[in-house]
Amino acid sequence: MTAVLAFSVFVTVTVGLYLTMSRDTFRCVIGLAVLGAAANLVLFAAGRLGSVSPAVVPVGETVLRDAANPLPQALVLTAIVIGFALLCYSLVLVLRLIRDARSDDALSLRHAEPIPDDPVKPPAAAPGCDVRWPPREGSS
Amino acid sequence: MKSRVVILEAAAGPLYVLILAASIWVLLRGHNEPGGGFIGGLLAVSASILWAVAHGSSAAERRLPLGGAMRLAAVGVLIAGVSGLPALFLGDAYLTHLWATLPLGVTDLKISTVLLFDLGVYLCVWGALAGYALGLLSLDAGKGPPGEPR
Amino acid sequence: MVKSSGEPGRGPGWIERISFTALPVIGLMLVAWKLALFELPVRLSWSWVPALGIDLAFHIDGLSALMLLMITGVGTAVFVYAGGYLAGHPGQRRLYVLLSLFMVAMVGSVTADHLIVLFLFWEATSLLSFLLVGFNHERPESRKSAQQSLMVTGAGGLALLAGFILLGQAMGTYVISDIVVALPSAEATPETTAALVLILIGAFTKSAQFPFHFWLPNAMAAPTPVSAYLHSATMVKLGVYLLARLDPAFGEWPLWEWALKAAGSITAAWGMVLALRERDLKRILAWSTVATLGTLVTLVGLRGEGATVAVGALLLAHALYKAPLFFVAGNIDHGTGTRVIDRLGNLRHAMPWTAAAALLAGASMAGMPLSFGYIVKDVILDAKSAGDVFIFAKAANTIFGAVAVAVAGVAAIRVFWRHPGVNETCEAHEGGPSLFLPPLILALAGITLGIFPFFAQELIAAATGAMTPDAEAVAFSLALEFGPVLGSLLVTLAIGVGIYFLWDPLHRLFERVARLLGRIGMAAQYERVLHWIPWVAAVSTRALQNGSLPAYVALAGGTVTLLLAAALVSAWTDLALPSIDVWPGIGVFGACVLIVVGAVAACTQRSRLVLLLAAGLVGYGSGLLFLFTGAPDVAYTQFTVETVFVIVVASVLLALKRQGRATAVDERLWRPGAFVLASGFAATITALLLVATAGDFNTALSQFFADTSVPEAYGRNVVNVILVDFRALDTFGEISVVLLSFLAALPLLQALKRAHSARGES
Repeated sequence: MTAVLAFSVFVTVTVGLYLTMSRDTFRCVIGLAVLGAAANLVLFAAGRLGSVSPAVVPVGETVLRDAANPLPQALVLTAIVIGFALLCYSLVLVLRLIRDARSDDALSLRHAEPIPDDPVKPPAAAPGCDVRWPPREGSS
Repeated sequence: MKSRVVILEAAAGPLYVLILAASIWVLLRGHNEPGGGFIGGLLAVSASILWAVAHGSSAAERRLPLGGAMRLAAVGVLIAGVSGLPALFLGDAYLTHLWATLPLGVTDLKISTVLLFDLGVYLCVWGALAGYALGLLSLDAGKGPPGEPR
Repeated sequence: MVKSSGEPGRGPGWIERISFTALPVIGLMLVAWKLALFELPVRLSWSWVPALGIDLAFHIDGLSALMLLMITGVGTAVFVYAGGYLAGHPGQRRLYVLLSLFMVAMVGSVTADHLIVLFLFWEATSLLSFLLVGFNHERPESRKSAQQSLMVTGAGGLALLAGFILLGQAMGTYVISDIVVALPSAEATPETTAALVLILIGAFTKSAQFPFHFWLPNAMAAPTPVSAYLHSATMVKLGVYLLARLDPAFGEWPLWEWALKAAGSITAAWGMVLALRERDLKRILAWSTVATLGTLVTLVGLRGEGATVAVGALLLAHALYKAPLFFVAGNIDHGTGTRVIDRLGNLRHAMPWTAAAALLAGASMAGMPLSFGYIVKDVILDAKSAGDVFIFAKAANTIFGAVAVAVAGVAAIRVFWRHPGVNETCEAHEGGPSLFLPPLILALAGITLGIFPFFAQELIAAATGAMTPDAEAVAFSLALEFGPVLGSLLVTLAIGVGIYFLWDPLHRLFERVARLLGRIGMAAQYERVLHWIPWVAAVSTRALQNGSLPAYVALAGGTVTLLLAAALVSAWTDLALPSIDVWPGIGVFGACVLIVVGAVAACTQRSRLVLLLAAGLVGYGSGLLFLFTGAPDVAYTQFTVETVFVIVVASVLLALKRQGRATAVDERLWRPGAFVLASGFAATITALLLVATAGDFNTALSQFFADTSVPEAYGRNVVNVILVDFRALDTFGEISVVLLSFLAALPLLQALKRAHSARGES
């Protein structure tokens, strides 16, 4: 393990979580992206960085020798694609929230969980919060 | 309407075909060289995005095969799932892959359920991620009112 | 008494009633037949969940047979009685079904030879007792009592399960008969001690032992057949049964012995006091049942064979006199409409058969000569004085007997012969034979066994043998003796009669004491807990689920940090220290520089576009890293994904800008708290990565892929072969996730598009 890589992992994880804890929902999404990249780095580094030759068996041979560890590569490869799909999903979700709440402040997203006024009873749903199923399209 | 870059519009046609061809090549050679269904699918997604930048995202959506992003992705998962079925008839575990060689005179063509599976991955990645990308791109107001996706 | 419970249709016809009643009769005959043929113990076993080592194992020995006789015998009486008691009640069919299920659950509980199987049947009895106690569910007090009994016995059931699992894990087997053999020679470990305590809690809740005694009298809201069945003969005896079953295993442990003696004695004493306090006949009987259960538990805790004999004998005797007395209380309720003893008197003319049954059962309860109760009293006296651990054993026994005499007097004489109160209901009447025959027959059985005790001898001997497996042969005889016991009986009788005549003044006294104690009693504590549970739940929910997204992220991140850090610190001495080589290749170094620069830029810039580009830089940097460490596939994927991401998000940003939402939320860039948490999390993850990579690397899996990729999967690109062949099912799952996430996003996307185009047109 090289100190440089460990340091990059430290910085990316810090920044990822720091951005995710932001009030700005857009920064949240970017934070998730950075956190995803950091997770891929951790996964990749856990499989040991050894040889720099790709995990491809040369023509005519049957056994892979002196190449990078293929297993974490396969895991990270799918993780990248899935991570991207889920990132797009959270982006769509955030856009929808921004449109509905007319704000991109995470603290103002209180439609489903209004600030309680009673210590025991659950708060009533905010006006305009449609709790019916199926939800009506284009409401609010 | 936003003024489009004319050169991009003109180049989009050949580039689209070129990138798709490259993506299929990457898919086919993936089993032996770097490449495969995931990378091929992502290349195809970038082709779709190129088309969307040039002609609008609804036009790009229309250009997707099988009539839409959702269907493309679903067919991909279906193909990948079906590719594992033949093994069941031979008494092997699901998704145990089979190979066969077709002699074509000049050279032998190796066909396998692995290729079918990788094709499924390719189509799913292309469909789902292009669907996401085109959907999000269509929110940019400059492209005019986009049509309903099919 | 007959009330509509909202169920449509008429009650079951007589054919249906007879079919239901046939169930306990057949069971009774089966058990009696097995007993008569000396075919005990019987063992049955089927494999059920082999993966967890759970077998449907049953083992019927003498103790089980005694319980089975009571379950089926009293069950027969209860089924007959229910036919008359609830005649025409629309819920009668439901009662039959529930009682039948309950009987099956009881039979399973007392025959199961596997801890988990026993627990399942045990829980089934708790659930069914909830339904049976709440039979008249349209009455609020019924529902409340049912809930209380379920909460108490259910909580005890959970403790029991935990205890069983601890015990089973510690002993390496869940088979009860094996545990009973193996445990006495095993060392006492913290696990087995914890198991012991948990099992005691389970048994005490079920058998209404102090401090869980309060639910039983409240459960008297149940209809009489249910009370007679559950609360005299079967369910409440289940705890005693479990204690007796495990007594050979734990018997030598001081904790076991003292817990049983203490809880049993307190319960017995407290039950007697509270019995004197009540005015409701059924509740008086319930408290005296609590007292008897306490005596039973004490007897289980006492050493010596005499105590064991006494347990078996008292179990039988109590079922034979308490069930009839419950029936009698039900008959009085049925015939007069009240159970309050002040309003009853001189009922012998109106209800002669019930009076006879009450007299016979009362004689047995009071321990009169020529009743089975007398013989049991003799045996108990022997056991307690042989144990001689308790200085007050004899005195306590006398007092307990005296209160039993008084309770028997109230139930059998006061309401039938004396006339202390005004008999407000003059139209008191006797029910049909199905109402007075069951108590009469049960009470007569008690008297018969008293005159000819050798009928019970074999049964009690078998039960005793099961409870003391290592004893050679228990030498005892149930015989009608008029020795010293008669003397002590006379004392008991005298005090009992005194209490009986002083019932009303004593009642007032104890009423006052009980009212003082009521505020700190267990029932009040139970109410308090019940009241606080929703409050605690609400407050903790408010604290944890406060509606703030950053707080949620912080909570999750903080929890993960704490757990991982705790794991790291606790295992620190076993971990290999990382060896750090400082200088990597120039490619890796450059990639890391890109990553770090991108990350630092991302959290120091306010502009969203710069933020996006900085995040893109992190992605491209990782791609470069993959490229320079022999992972071209991953690198190309990362590059393509990152490009698509930047293009797409940039276009979204443009769209937001056109909607006038270009500026970020006005939030401070420097948030020290968040930074400390984030860097703590990152430090933990990095430390984890360092120590993980410092250890020896098991290359077996990677080597397998490297060796078999070409020969077996015909592919030279090992990464791709892993994806589409070796781990194809995994990949299939992953592309399904991608598809599903798109499917979930599609409606959101379409709604966004529609709103967007509407805005574009307007």
